[in-house]
Amino acid sequence: MSSAAAEGPFYVMDSTSDADVDPLRPPYTPFFGIIGASSAMIFSALGASYGTAKSGTGIASMSVARPDLIMKSIIPVVMAGIIAIYGLVVAALISNDIKSAANGYTLFRSFVHMGAGFSVGLSGLAAGLAIGMVGDSGVRGTAQQPKLFVGMILILIFAEVLGLYGLIVALILSTKTG
Amino acid sequence: MASVLTPVYIVLTMALAAFLILSFYYTLTDQGYRYNIGWLLQDTSPYMWANLGIGLGISLSVVGAAWGIFTTGSSILGGGVKAPRIRTKNLVSIIFCEAVAIYGIIMAIVISNQETVFNPQKWSEAERYQLSSQNHHAGYSMFGAGLTVGFSNLFCGICVGIVGSGAALADAQNSSLFVKILIVEIFGSAIGLFGVIISILQVTHAKMGDK
Repeated sequence: MSSAAAEGPFYVMDSTSDADVDPLRPPYTPFFGIIGASSAMIFSALGASYGTAKSGTGIASMSVARPDLIMKSIIPVVMAGIIAIYGLVVAALISNDIKSAANGYTLFRSFVHMGAGFSVGLSGLAAGLAIGMVGDSGVRGTAQQPKLFVGMILILIFAEVLGLYGLIVALILSTKTG
Repeated sequence: MASVLTPVYIVLTMALAAFLILSFYYTLTDQGYRYNIGWLLQDTSPYMWANLGIGLGISLSVVGAAWGIFTTGSSILGGGVKAPRIRTKNLVSIIFCEAVAIYGIIMAIVISNQETVFNPQKWSEAERYQLSSQNHHAGYSMFGAGLTVGFSNLFCGICVGIVGSGAALADAQNSSLFVKILIVEIFGSAIGLFGVIISILQVTHAKMGDK
């Protein structure tokens, strides 16, 4: 191990020299936690962007005929933004918890963070997709038939709650110690 | 309905088939140990991860900004044929898309400031585990930060572009509508800002070097 340092190749810590390495905390431990934090933000951002863009085109279309209904129709856009906030919260929680392996960050915590990130991210993606499509049809329908507004809100709430389920699972996971 | 023989499906099927054939070959010839993710993560240089993050951060942000700009720009120029008054006001949508590229370049500079040279041949044996885990952590953090800001800005840019296109066409019909649809664009550009926040959080804990 010491001779590899002087004359061997330029490895940071190759897999053959891990006699001192705690097997619960190998040097590559933070990778999975970081992938969790990134995927929490990235997939929620995709869901929120889809929701905002799809509802936004619906609003732009119906605003020509009914400009007075624009302010009520911003609701799907706000709900898509809340999906991005779920992802932001979990990604911030995970990122604050990540340390290097020598500072006590175990593989257990790392994989738990990866699971939390994927759960909020992919749920947020699905919820954002649903909010976008429902918002688009909803605002176009409300412009023609005002009684549809309450129905649109109810369906949007069910879609939003899907993202909330992902957030709940992510929060349960990120408070696991061991 | 796209036919299953389009190039995308052919490429994906061939990639999946190659992966499955290789997996079965390794498993059946007792070489399963070669699928070693730990070896892959540990023996690749942290410089690779860091620079991949920086490169992807800036380039994906710029792709998002470009996508938004061409979506909005073509609508502005098309709608402006019959309503030339929309030209100047709708440049605001283009600026929202450009801001996404600015976020990308700021984060790429911030991430690359954390990257320094380290030399494992100068480390003593006592500190080897500590320093190597710290440098790996730094490399992965920069990769994650670059990925976060790049993809968030990509999606944000596309979203702002699509909404800006709708705003331009509504503006061409009725000029009082533009300001109200701008509210939707502001919600869209908040998404890119969230990506920058998380990216900064990920990269401030990263420390590369010989100490």
